[in-house]
Amino acid sequence: MKRIFVDYKKCLACKACETACAVRHHPSGSLVGALGDRRTEIDVRVLGIEHESFPLACRHCDPADCLSACPSGALARDPETGAVVVNPDLCKACAMCASVCTFDAISFKETHRARHGREVAHKCDLCTERLKQGERPACVAACPSGALVFGELEQNRTQRAARSLRTYLLGEEGLPPLLEAYRELRRKEFAARRGEKG
Amino acid sequence: MDEGRCRELKTRSADPAAVEMLGVADREGFATIWDRYEKQQPQCSYGQLGTCCRICSMGPCRIDPFGEGPDRGVCGATADTMVARNLARMAAVGSSSHSDHGRKVALLLKAVASGRNRDYRITDEDKLRAVAGRLAIPTEGRTADEIAVDVADAAIGCFGKQDEEPLVFAEKYMPKKRFELLKGLEEKLFEATGAKMGFLPRGIDREAVDILHRTHFGCDHDPLSLVAQSVRCSLSDGWGGSLIATEIQDILLGTPKIREVKANLGVLEEESVNVVVHGHEPVLSAKVVEMARLPEMQRAAEAAGARRVNVVGMCCTGNEVLLRQGVGMAGNEAHSELAVMTGAVDAMVVDVQCIYPALADLCSCYHTRFITTSEQAKIPGALHIQFDEHNADAIAMRIVRTAIEAFPNRNKARVFIPRHTATAMVGFTVEEILKALGGTPQPLIDLIVNGTIKGVAGIVGCNNVKVQQDRFHRGLTEELIRRDILVIGTGCWAVAAAKAGLMDQSAREKAGPGLQAVCGQLGIPPVLHMGSCVDCSRMLNLAGGIADHLGVDISALPLVGSAPEWTTEKAVAIGTYFVGSGIPVHLWPLPPILGGPEVTKILTQDARDVLGGWFFVEEDPAATADQMEKIIMERRAALGI
Repeated sequence: MKRIFVDYKKCLACKACETACAVRHHPSGSLVGALGDRRTEIDVRVLGIEHESFPLACRHCDPADCLSACPSGALARDPETGAVVVNPDLCKACAMCASVCTFDAISFKETHRARHGREVAHKCDLCTERLKQGERPACVAACPSGALVFGELEQNRTQRAARSLRTYLLGEEGLPPLLEAYRELRRKEFAARRGEKG
Repeated sequence: MDEGRCRELKTRSADPAAVEMLGVADREGFATIWDRYEKQQPQCSYGQLGTCCRICSMGPCRIDPFGEGPDRGVCGATADTMVARNLARMAAVGSSSHSDHGRKVALLLKAVASGRNRDYRITDEDKLRAVAGRLAIPTEGRTADEIAVDVADAAIGCFGKQDEEPLVFAEKYMPKKRFELLKGLEEKLFEATGAKMGFLPRGIDREAVDILHRTHFGCDHDPLSLVAQSVRCSLSDGWGGSLIATEIQDILLGTPKIREVKANLGVLEEESVNVVVHGHEPVLSAKVVEMARLPEMQRAAEAAGARRVNVVGMCCTGNEVLLRQGVGMAGNEAHSELAVMTGAVDAMVVDVQCIYPALADLCSCYHTRFITTSEQAKIPGALHIQFDEHNADAIAMRIVRTAIEAFPNRNKARVFIPRHTATAMVGFTVEEILKALGGTPQPLIDLIVNGTIKGVAGIVGCNNVKVQQDRFHRGLTEELIRRDILVIGTGCWAVAAAKAGLMDQSAREKAGPGLQAVCGQLGIPPVLHMGSCVDCSRMLNLAGGIADHLGVDISALPLVGSAPEWTTEKAVAIGTYFVGSGIPVHLWPLPPILGGPEVTKILTQDARDVLGGWFFVEEDPAATADQMEKIIMERRAALGI
């Protein structure tokens, strides 16, 4: 099953993923349409954890705690892509799904898909429509630094492992040296802000 | 407040007055720069690496720093081109801000000298004659007005002249060896590359416009050429715009003298009308101070139930009036919101630069009148009282009256002024330093030669929310004086040092034995306040004076610079003109250059060989002081001392 993998050291917090997600899930399909529209759905959020940043979205677990916890059948698994998707018409906004979600990846608000002006659950749908057309999720396609990768777990794991091992076994460089320096100095900056010695 | 939160607030500022005020902010639910900074997390690394280009509408473009994605913008620009262009634009903006400030005072001097302005006068004729002498303007048998017209014309000419010759101010003030080096460098680079690159500034406006032109879509893409022009533009600030601002302000408002003042929020007075002057240009704020001291304003204040009108300074406007008129210094940049939260500020009067627009909303939560005055700095939500040099007295009076009228609306129950102040001895202009030394830099040179003082460090600039307020300023300053390195400086650093008591005579106890003895002998603190951020020109001037006295270049002298909490584009210009003048400069936080390996190499390594000044980055104050001391010792060794 294909999933979105996060190579967090490559996340530069540009938030292109957030913008792409908003545009993809907006009825206008355009940035201009989504701007300033409070009902715009953004299902990935780049969180800053000290000097690191991490684009957080639904991991589409299987089995998924949210899916088991939902009393109204609003959450379902898309058989083709394996994505956990919301049917806003059935959602009672009880927040059981959000309560049990390990990654806090489910939010509530009145989205464009919500009827009757209700707040409903919204979360990453893995861009199932795009996947069915052979495209990658919008956030992955928008990521300029390769922090978001869409692929088979095994293939991705092997690739990453091989890359890391080149560093360990062959002494090949990992990150470019100035980028290593940048990361290190940023780490020190945040440590100093906490009142700790870098 | 619970203990955890208290600890957290202490990580925001090293100044106990600020920590107390942040408690008030918490209680009242006010957002400050620190809260807004948290909300901005995480901040985009493309911006921090300098590899985001928004120059044309084919973009924005970004370079993948991991080397897997795009390595060129749409037009083909490399990461180094982007970084160099962005940096050049920062230098141009910084230089323009200082220089435009200088332009206004030059025009004012002309107006005063030609009798078109009667609100100001030539206050320091000695300085006028000294500046004229420096510029080779005849003074014998001429009136002050006649000389001043020529000085003003010389200054005004530096902004708009169109020939290829260096600015007259740069030529006459820059030490000979530096001037020759830069001139020779232009020739050498032409021989080596066949391409023209210049370092000596031709016109102040021109050098900034040149950068705007060459960074336009499809012009200069060569990192070295872009950096060279950034240096030239910055030199047009340090040896041009800022220098003109300093020199002419001294002529018009008086050259600062050594005096003692109080610094920190405790200078606000519970029973008085408090006016905070904040920004950079003293032309207005000096008038506000003057008008506030008039008997009729005193009467008006008393009629409103106040003891007096207490004008206090903030940021560099504060530095200017503190040096010349001895007003109290409320704080540096990061203090601006905190001052309002004392509930005791009746008016905050601002001119240009470094004014948070957030102050408008904050002031509306109090009785505080937030008054903007400059055509170039209007802020929604503020009361705009347009300043005009030709009607300065009346406008300053209206501003003071507005503050007095606000005083009765003050909610006394809400007033909380943290009881923190420190005494600071300030006003160490080049003139005052030379006077203290007996008219020549020789005694200072002797002290350096015999090792009593190892060298001199110039520290400048800013608070930055990414650094615990004043922590780096205090830490680095203390580390340096402990190593017998004399510390001089300006701007928000100077305010930080003053608040920390480092400009008090008692601070000499924190200095090493050599510096301690010198301070005792001369009756000075080990940390010298040289002025506002345009007054970094005073530091250049001092360095230049010593260099000329010894017949060497500035780059041979045991001098170092630092901007340890830098924020603004002005700091980029200052750092760059220090480097261009032959002084190594420490920076923290990170400048947005690491995305461009070649630019990083030029600024941190190549510049060392070519200009004798270079940049280095370090987060830890003690480690920074180590590096600065090492540079000083290397330079001493090279001089054979």
